[in-house]
Amino acid sequence: MKKHFIRLFAIFVILIFSVPVYAGAPLDSVKKCVNEVIGIVGNPKLKGEAAKEIKKEKLRVLYKEMFDEIEFSKRTLARNWNKFTPDQRKEFVNLFEQVLEKAYGDKVLSYTNEKVEFYKESKLSEDQFEVQSKIITSSKEVPVFYRVINSNGKWKVYDVVVENVSLVQNYRTQFNDILAKDNPAKLLEILRKKVSTH
Amino acid sequence: MKNILASVIGVMFFVIAACPCNADPSNDALSSSQPPTTFKLVLSAKENPEKTTNPLDEDYHEDENLDEYANNEIKEERVDIADPLESVNRVTHQFNDKLYFWAVKPVAQGYKEVVPESARISVKNFFSNLGFPARFLSCLLQADLSGAATEARRFTINTVWGIGGLLDPSSGKELNLQEQNTDLGQTLGVWGIGQGFYIVWPVFGPSTPRDTVSIAGNYFLDPVAYLNPWSARMGVNVLDKVNAASLRIGDYEALKDAAVDPYVAFRDAYVQYRYKRVKARQAKWSSSPGPAETSVPANPESSKRGQ
Repeated sequence: MKKHFIRLFAIFVILIFSVPVYAGAPLDSVKKCVNEVIGIVGNPKLKGEAAKEIKKEKLRVLYKEMFDEIEFSKRTLARNWNKFTPDQRKEFVNLFEQVLEKAYGDKVLSYTNEKVEFYKESKLSEDQFEVQSKIITSSKEVPVFYRVINSNGKWKVYDVVVENVSLVQNYRTQFNDILAKDNPAKLLEILRKKVSTH
Repeated sequence: MKNILASVIGVMFFVIAACPCNADPSNDALSSSQPPTTFKLVLSAKENPEKTTNPLDEDYHEDENLDEYANNEIKEERVDIADPLESVNRVTHQFNDKLYFWAVKPVAQGYKEVVPESARISVKNFFSNLGFPARFLSCLLQADLSGAATEARRFTINTVWGIGGLLDPSSGKELNLQEQNTDLGQTLGVWGIGQGFYIVWPVFGPSTPRDTVSIAGNYFLDPVAYLNPWSARMGVNVLDKVNAASLRIGDYEALKDAAVDPYVAFRDAYVQYRYKRVKARQAKWSSSPGPAETSVPANPESSKRGQ
């Protein structure tokens, strides 16, 4: 009887403590994704030039998992987003993703022995958080903050702040500068050109 | 019996340890994060009844809800800068770009091949230790006495035990005296002087009239500037710059490649970076004299700690 009771009690305890596992705190969700990135990049089975494409493909999948691409694009265009037609928006989201991949893909793949430390999350609003981390290399520490938004119950990144510089704001300033003089079609043309060069 | 008890305790320990029930207040917010979302959806649906669920069709809205957190220093900031000299600045930017790719980078790469990384970090520490006077003075001028004390202790410890500054024992875990990342330009910013407009100096790069004070001030406060034959001074300065560049090869290229308009991208990155630094120093300043003081007093001496 006593044995039975203890078993029941154990099950009860497990049930109680497993309730608060909802979508996962913002910090944990970003940390999980970043650890997956590190896992892919540092995978000893995927070495050499040939494996680079495989890694990139895996990172692409993870990018979609980790980022809210539309929110990301929308914020870089800010009010200008409303001037884009739905088709132009779709193309913009696509091109912007390629610009980022081109710019940061190889950089991410070249990471080797850097340590990533997550230490804090702070609330920006009801459904927005900032997750703070730092990349520690042998010669320096680079603070990297991820801003996440609750998108249908999942925490998705919509901005990355590296060394106090917000990526969204940096692109917003550039796009604003172009869109102050030209129309959305021209910006898309510039982006198409940027993606196809190299 | 004992076994079962032990396993129950084991399971409990495991469950408690793995459970994300930290004392972080954000967890409360988590549980309440669902209602506002639905609320928002209802709201936007009201505005736009034939709305589809495709986020591409949704308009951009400012983060109205962030305003509630206006006192929160990490709230999304929008900083901009006047750029009346844009045409001249773009030329200087091009010049600095070429200077980097044609001179600094090849030299730094050669230097990197010859000098091992640990030695380069020591050289970096050495020059950073020499930057003590400017940082110390800036802390004092910002009435940041604890910062000034940290700098003074760092300088003493690193100079004596760090072999003239080659090593940085102070920033280790035991002492935990971190370098105060501040300068005279930030000091003026803390005093409430605006950034002014954007300038790109040849060699020195992005700046503003306010931050130019740092460049000028360093000329007087940097011990290297007092080296006697000018050739020695130049040589040491070049070593400093090349050494620093050798530790950062690739950073400039990455930022440049990522940019759609590199000139604007660097301008914005510079302005954002400086803005946040000044903001952080201001927060330190206003947190020292009294509660919730957000405006900067005209006289820095009046806000000294302990008054």
